[in-house]
Amino acid sequence: MAHAPQDPLTAALPMPMAKPRFEPGFLTPYAFIIPALLVMLGGLLYPVFMALYLSFYDWQIGLPLEDADFIGMTNFARMFTDPQVWEVLWVTLRFGFWTITIEMTLGVALALLLEKPIRGASVFRTIFILPLMVSPVVVGLIWRYLFDARIGWINYYLGAWFGIDPQVWLGDAQLAFFAIVLTDIWQWTPFIFIIVIAGLQALPSEVVEASTIDGANWWQQIFLVKLPMIKSILVIALLMRLIDVFRGMEVMLIMTGGGPGRSTELLSLHIYNRAFNTQQLGYASAISVLLIVIVFAISTAILTMANPMKNKSDV
Amino acid sequence: MKHLFKTGLAAASAMVLSTGLAFAGPYDKYAGTTIVVSWPALSHFKAAETLIEEFTAETGIEVEVDALQYLNLRDRQLLEMSKPRGDYDVVSWVVMWKGEYVSKGLLTPLSQFFTSGSLVDPNYDIDDIADAYLQNGGVVGGKKGYMPGKSGALYGIPFGAETSILAYRKDILEEQGIDVPGTYDELRAAMAKLKEAGIPAMTSRGATGHQVTAAWLFHLAPLGGKIFDDQWNPVVNSPEAVEAAEVLREIAKTGPVGIPAFGFGEAAASFLQGESAMYLDTLKIAAMVRDPAQSKVDGKVGYATHPVGSRCGSETGGFAMGIPANSQNKEAAFLFLQYMTNKAGDQRMVELGGDPVRMSTLAANADKFEDFPVVLEQLPCADADWRPLIPEWNELNIDVLGQALTEVITTDKPIQPIMDAANEKARAIMQREGYYVWRN
Repeated sequence: MAHAPQDPLTAALPMPMAKPRFEPGFLTPYAFIIPALLVMLGGLLYPVFMALYLSFYDWQIGLPLEDADFIGMTNFARMFTDPQVWEVLWVTLRFGFWTITIEMTLGVALALLLEKPIRGASVFRTIFILPLMVSPVVVGLIWRYLFDARIGWINYYLGAWFGIDPQVWLGDAQLAFFAIVLTDIWQWTPFIFIIVIAGLQALPSEVVEASTIDGANWWQQIFLVKLPMIKSILVIALLMRLIDVFRGMEVMLIMTGGGPGRSTELLSLHIYNRAFNTQQLGYASAISVLLIVIVFAISTAILTMANPMKNKSDV
Repeated sequence: MKHLFKTGLAAASAMVLSTGLAFAGPYDKYAGTTIVVSWPALSHFKAAETLIEEFTAETGIEVEVDALQYLNLRDRQLLEMSKPRGDYDVVSWVVMWKGEYVSKGLLTPLSQFFTSGSLVDPNYDIDDIADAYLQNGGVVGGKKGYMPGKSGALYGIPFGAETSILAYRKDILEEQGIDVPGTYDELRAAMAKLKEAGIPAMTSRGATGHQVTAAWLFHLAPLGGKIFDDQWNPVVNSPEAVEAAEVLREIAKTGPVGIPAFGFGEAAASFLQGESAMYLDTLKIAAMVRDPAQSKVDGKVGYATHPVGSRCGSETGGFAMGIPANSQNKEAAFLFLQYMTNKAGDQRMVELGGDPVRMSTLAANADKFEDFPVVLEQLPCADADWRPLIPEWNELNIDVLGQALTEVITTDKPIQPIMDAANEKARAIMQREGYYVWRN
């Protein structure tokens, strides 16, 4: 049998081997992903599934989990008919509406004001982000004493400057709600500011210059050029604040303990009280599941309506 | 010869050892042991740290203290005591938690130590401890589950226990021509008169939850009210209970600004800083008045027994100490408990600025402190059953009464419907927890 003439250039090379059915190299990316996957499973999914599992039991701290009674959907049935849950959910939604609306407005406005290189801008920026660096427990303590009816600076200056009688800020339902909203705005407006200013500074200057040449005034540049171009950043900031509103509880726990009544009791604080004050861990878990569902639903809705990844032209 | 020598040596060693054991002190066996104590970060317990040092020097038993804000103790203690091997050897609880701890099997009955000849100090004299304190803080069982009785047992010794007395500003009452109130009618009249004179009358706790409920309970017992009748039916809407809520509303209206946000610290601070004329709460106020770091009113304060309504009935509360069931050093823990609460320890606590639990200590120091004779007079009518120390109490206390009473002091709504609604909620909780399953 005659052999085909061999190309002299390839004659020296080893014969190509048949392609193996399994190439070990293809597992490499998975090997790199596995640790992260395990951390995700352990740190994220396990607690979620555990909360779901516990929500079917009647369990109190101090008793072994094995001794907990399986009660099926009882906790969920109780939750849906429990007026306290709906009351604190309403408080949470009102709190979220006021804080996020004002924080987004103020944060964006401040970012637009300090976007240009003006004298002292870096000092202002540093001052504005200071509240972000303070732990929530310290924030709660600071504002609790500022609002204190006896020794608080707020009552003192309202009296000294405007002759206003001392107010029981944290002992009146409306005033206490106002106080926690104000505290949240103080702490979290800088978060919006820092994200938005980063977005504004990353905008291509040609686009802004082009709009100037086309005759756009300052307002038009903001509303028709800049804000639409950082829409994806605004959506992410909104989403993160929204999730925080549903998660946060430390400041309210320190400032008001959720009172007077339930006027400042957010859903997460209510879960904490259920779990640790009244020892109803199963019921608290059921409300936690509700919290997860609400946050998931709102997040999905926002991302569906304004998906930052959808428009590639966004910054 | 060699065998004889060995035998002689062994016999001599045994004799020396047995003699040594026979004469060993009660603490020798436990010297070098370290016990961990969980208790609140409050002034009485801070003062006790010096006594702990003396305990260690005398016994060789080391003590580590884990001090926490008192309302946060329960979570930590429950978690520790529910582990197979806990870190705590001694826990100090607010008396209202004892029922829950015992029902979950987390505490060791103290009878096993009090029956041990090698552990119990023959001069301990437990009968000298104020009855109301011992029953309220340490005994679990009886007909109600939290009081003495044939099924009761001792789980804790009071330490940092208290009853309520009235503290008042002598200078202000004298200036306004007001006699020290001895009854609730006189108290209400005094508050109204002080309000008219523009002086904040009486400070009080009032923050939502435990604090406002505690404030109301101070008035409930002397006005003849109860939380439950004998069949566990809630009666927080009874005329007496409504009257107690009316008194609380009057206190909030005539007292210093901010009562609806006051916890224990804020209420006391208002009196100590000279912003209120009266204080009706724990006897601990007296030690605070004497402390120049906290008080601007030392020398101006007088003390009187808790005003009487339809009956005499001051609170019993504060703390008791016991030994977790999962402690690894129970005997050393008992020796600690005994040392801190024996007659010498109780006297030492007084010298260190703490509060005694023994009648003999109160009597021995009655001429040194203005409040001690008042406490001695008050204790016989201190009501160990002024609140139900059942496991469900925490939920009733915080979730039901703590909400309803906030509405009482922060609004002008009629009180009866508020308390009626609270009563229904309380009944639902008791129903849920199975208190009525034995009824037909």
